[in-house]
Amino acid sequence: MNEASSFRRRAARRPFSAAALGVSAGGLVNEEVKRTVDLSTHLAKITTELVLSNQGHSAVQSFILSVEPDLAPHLAYIGASVKGDGEDDGLLEIQQSDIHGHSGDFYKVHLASSLAAGAQLKVKVEMTFSHVLKPFPTHITQAERQLVVFQGNHYLYSPYPTRSQTTRVRLASKTVETYTKLGNPSKNDEIIEYGPFRDVPPYSEDTMKIHYENNTPFLTIGSLTRTIEVSHWGNIAVEETIDLRHTGAVLRGAFSRYDYQRQSDSGISSIKSFKTILPASAQDVYYRDEIGNISTSHLQVLDDSVEVEVRPRFPLFGGWKTHYVIGYNLPSYEYLYTLGDQYALKMRLVDHVYDDQVIDSLTVKIILPEGARNIHMDTPYKIDRLPNQLHYTYLDTFGRPVLVVTKDNLVEHHIQDVVVHYNFNKILMLQEPLLVVGAFYILFFTVIIYVRLDFAITKDPAAEVRMKVASITEQVLTLVNKRLGLYRHMDEVVNRYKQSRDTGALNSGRKTLEADHRTLTNEISSLQARLKAEGSDLAEKVGEVQKVDSQVKELVCRSCQEAERLVAGKVKKEAYIENEKNLSSKRQEFVGRIDSLLDAL
Amino acid sequence: LTKFGTEEKKMLKLSWSIKLNIQVLLLQFYSKIVFCFPFRFNYRSTHHLTSNGFYEFLNWFDERAWYPLGRIVGGTVYPGLMVTAGLIHYVLNLLHITVHIRDVCVFLAPVFSGLTSISTFLLTRELWNQGAGLLAACFIAIVPGYISRSVAGSFDNEGIAIFALQFTYYLWVKSVKTGSVFWAIGCCLSYFYMVSAWGGYVFIINLIPLHVFVLLLMQRFSRRVYIAYSTFYIIGLVLSMQIPFVGFQPIRTSEHMAAAGVFVLLQVYAFLQYLKDRLTRQEFQTLFFLGVALAAGVVFLSVIYLTYTGTNKLKCYAKIHIPIIASVSEHQPTTWVSFFFDLHILVCTFPAGLWFCIKNINDERVFVALYAISAVYFAGVMVRLMLTLTPVVCMLSAVAFSCVFEHYLGDDMKRQSPPAEDSRLGPNIKSIVTMLMLMLLMMFAVHCTWVTSNAYSSPSVVLASYNHDGSRNILDDFREAYYWLRQNTDEHARVMSWWDYGYQIAGMANRTTLVDNNTWNNSHIALVGKAMSSNETAAYEIMRSLDVDYVLIIFGGVIGYSGDDINKFLWMVRIAEGEHPRDIRESDYFTPQGEFRVDKAGSPTLLNCLMYKMSYYRFGEMQLDFRTPPGFDRTRNAEIGNKDIKLKHLEEAFTSEHWLVRIYKVKKLENRDRTSSL
Repeated sequence: MNEASSFRRRAARRPFSAAALGVSAGGLVNEEVKRTVDLSTHLAKITTELVLSNQGHSAVQSFILSVEPDLAPHLAYIGASVKGDGEDDGLLEIQQSDIHGHSGDFYKVHLASSLAAGAQLKVKVEMTFSHVLKPFPTHITQAERQLVVFQGNHYLYSPYPTRSQTTRVRLASKTVETYTKLGNPSKNDEIIEYGPFRDVPPYSEDTMKIHYENNTPFLTIGSLTRTIEVSHWGNIAVEETIDLRHTGAVLRGAFSRYDYQRQSDSGISSIKSFKTILPASAQDVYYRDEIGNISTSHLQVLDDSVEVEVRPRFPLFGGWKTHYVIGYNLPSYEYLYTLGDQYALKMRLVDHVYDDQVIDSLTVKIILPEGARNIHMDTPYKIDRLPNQLHYTYLDTFGRPVLVVTKDNLVEHHIQDVVVHYNFNKILMLQEPLLVVGAFYILFFTVIIYVRLDFAITKDPAAEVRMKVASITEQVLTLVNKRLGLYRHMDEVVNRYKQSRDTGALNSGRKTLEADHRTLTNEISSLQARLKAEGSDLAEKVGEVQKVDSQVKELVCRSCQEAERLVAGKVKKEAYIENEKNLSSKRQEFVGRIDSLLDAL
Repeated sequence: LTKFGTEEKKMLKLSWSIKLNIQVLLLQFYSKIVFCFPFRFNYRSTHHLTSNGFYEFLNWFDERAWYPLGRIVGGTVYPGLMVTAGLIHYVLNLLHITVHIRDVCVFLAPVFSGLTSISTFLLTRELWNQGAGLLAACFIAIVPGYISRSVAGSFDNEGIAIFALQFTYYLWVKSVKTGSVFWAIGCCLSYFYMVSAWGGYVFIINLIPLHVFVLLLMQRFSRRVYIAYSTFYIIGLVLSMQIPFVGFQPIRTSEHMAAAGVFVLLQVYAFLQYLKDRLTRQEFQTLFFLGVALAAGVVFLSVIYLTYTGTNKLKCYAKIHIPIIASVSEHQPTTWVSFFFDLHILVCTFPAGLWFCIKNINDERVFVALYAISAVYFAGVMVRLMLTLTPVVCMLSAVAFSCVFEHYLGDDMKRQSPPAEDSRLGPNIKSIVTMLMLMLLMMFAVHCTWVTSNAYSSPSVVLASYNHDGSRNILDDFREAYYWLRQNTDEHARVMSWWDYGYQIAGMANRTTLVDNNTWNNSHIALVGKAMSSNETAAYEIMRSLDVDYVLIIFGGVIGYSGDDINKFLWMVRIAEGEHPRDIRESDYFTPQGEFRVDKAGSPTLLNCLMYKMSYYRFGEMQLDFRTPPGFDRTRNAEIGNKDIKLKHLEEAFTSEHWLVRIYKVKKLENRDRTSSL
């Protein structure tokens, strides 16, 4: 024993070299091991609390954790922490390695501070295995309960000898068909306790087999594609496409809705609904599939999260699967940090879908804004990065960079933050608004050009004439109205004259009237001539207006003369008033005719 | 006048946006599912078009439908709808506006109904005046008869076809009015679009020749008509033959012959006119009486005959020779109720508009009169053709309303010929009439909103019920079951169901169906009907020979849904009897008193047929409430007659939450019994 351990110690100097036996670290011994195998869900969660003691001669920096070859492919998560007196310290750094001559997976745990010779250390190791609980029988009817088999190891699989160990197995129910009886274990309700086993050599394996009833939801996410689209306008859109499968015992025979509705324990292992917890700031949550919105979900907004009760369209029985999309928006100020041109996005790489989730294959796509450069990603654990892609959406010109990462076999422990650093020139934010502005500018400009310029191959003479005539008639209208204004002005002059009896003012007023009237009439007749030249029948109407107008003018002159005569005392007042009335009514009539003629123009 | 014009445009835009609003509102309730039965198929083919390209689409052989026959989709659909949606999608994506094809499909109908109201405006303006056009556009924007095809989510041929129809008519009227080749060519292109979109193009190719023919009879022949029709016929014919589904039909089938006959007649008539100009009266008369009378007579007779048979074709479509066509509710004759329901007050006012048109007749008003008369006839034959009646009713009602308003609302002083002093209307009469008219229009608007929100806005795959407290309960059983099929059956599983659900199964469940809504093969449907109406053993034989894996039925007995398979069952029996009269007899399914009953008094054949067994399997144990016995069917209000149903060759595979959809698995042949083989 002593010889062997010294040999081992020497081998430890050459890290994991060919001839090295498993026990490579010098003289480490598991003093006391407490294992808890939690089989109450569809996962196997093995928590091992062990006291390591260094019985070698030199301090060690690291120790080895190992996983049985049968279980190794199913290992989803492994974590180790040093258990101090009070709280747990942080997780230790773990690196996968291997040891020749022994099968299984080996992980090298680096200690924060080296373990001196003769010292002891309490370590807590957590391992989670997926798909290790095998349904047996593999096919059950709707009325039957689901039985599963777990095959594990009675002992701690370790490269070090173990002084003393106990194993406690927690099951999902009291009903146990069979279990291995090594060392006469005690069974109490859903707990089986093995051990204590003393002085177990390294790499000991002894199959522990437990066949028991487990009706917890055996849900597995076959594949999950999570798309995170970052917009610098304040929004992060998250969409998860989920393929869900019931991986428990497959339903055999008929599915009877009657039994399912009437008997509470019918289809006890089937899954009706589950809860998904989204971030507290999630908004606009949608839940749908290829054929539309799934109307059977409920949303509950809590203080620190948003809970979605996801109910697939149909209850999931063993072997059945479904597929859906869930998506929501997040405000970017909670997840996007910026310093000048540098940005950092800190988000969960994968989020909660249901309790004790298992994701067989995960793909995360992070779509950064167009123009992001120097992209660099910090992941909490090892993850495969695929080449970047380009994504085009509204108003993109050269595409948005997309980071694509994948990983298999994830459990709840993998809900951790990922940080993406990148540079982004803020000027580029203006690109899309400018693009829209530019497009509209071009559109309006084209319309302006099209409307203002004449692109007709042939001229339409009729339309042109019509337009010319319209402009001339417009001019005629203003002139005629001006002329009528002259008459009203003259009336005022006459009235003033009647009061002031100032013949000079009257004469000068009459003169200006004559002069203005003449120019206006001449202008109108010239317009009339032009109308005639255009061949418009409106010319006649204008002529008629002219005729009527000359009569109006006469009347105005008459009333002027009458007023003179009144002032001179040649007529009596009553006669004048009657005369005046006559004249004004006639004038009204003429002006009315002019107006109607003008309306017809 | 220009100012008036811009205001009008604003109004038009307003009516369009109102329309869009109405229809988009619906989506807030029902998210983005493309609703009704045939729409699923259109969506599926559009999806195929966008993902595989146009030529692949034309060559598409769908092995998922009509198992084991398959269906040549590319050659048997009108591709207009899919190409339109695909083109919009393509252009948008070219501009990096990355909308999903589903969204394009959902919003296509509202957009096109906006275009329909614009083309209705144009057509009515050509016929009457701008005011009437505006009213017509407003009417068609809200009329229930058209809303049914234009709500967001109704992705149907008719949605774009009505636009094409109205626009073709507008261009036709325009080309008859101007006699310009330009407008006639435009008319042809629009007609081509119509042909690519809907089988109802036959209506155009008969109505336009009819118009020309009536114009000839009315001595209204002119160079304009000659140019318009000659251009339209030749180019339209060539273009319409480019659609694979139409192919050589335009020169082969009788419904296109009227157009050809009128074309020949028009040429002859034009030639005669030419001769008349060249020859002396004496010579012409001799020639006319000797030669042409005979020929023209023959042509006339044949045209009359062909027009008759041609226009009757649409009616033949609905003839009740084959029960399968009669079994579709859309093919039933229209009732007065549905006329009123779909058109409301317009159905009363449109004869007035027609009268106004006939009173002041001209070339294009002849056209609209013919349009109205033929559309009324067809709508009376078949509910479905209500759709072609709706636009013309809107136009003519608009004419009527516009005339009345012009008379009672207009300012007498501003008229060109002011009425005589004594015939002027008093202000009281004016205001009363105006108020009445406005009341009518208001009631119409209220009715339209009500119909839109109640009758036409719920997708047929989602049923909604209301609880006592007013909260809404959605029964999503159809999608539950279809999605179960999609996820949990073999990808190549063959599902037998009645043909109504064929497109839904293909679209939502993505599984192979035996028969679907494209009812081209009657005998295949009859075979399915026979399987449903035979007893289980006989049905098993049929199902084995058809390689059926699953059978899907709709059962409404639990929630009282009346459109279920038991209520449709007699049609299955009738269709099966049509092809297999020796095996299936309708009378076997009735009681001796001639009743169709599912309770104990029902006929034993019915109580043991496959459909009955599948519908009521294990239903006999179910007690819905305490007042009724177990196995009480809420749809038919009867306690079922056969409660102890055992299935030998089938196995319940899935039943949706409210039992609306039940899916059965057809068991494979059992292994040979060991003891008996010894």
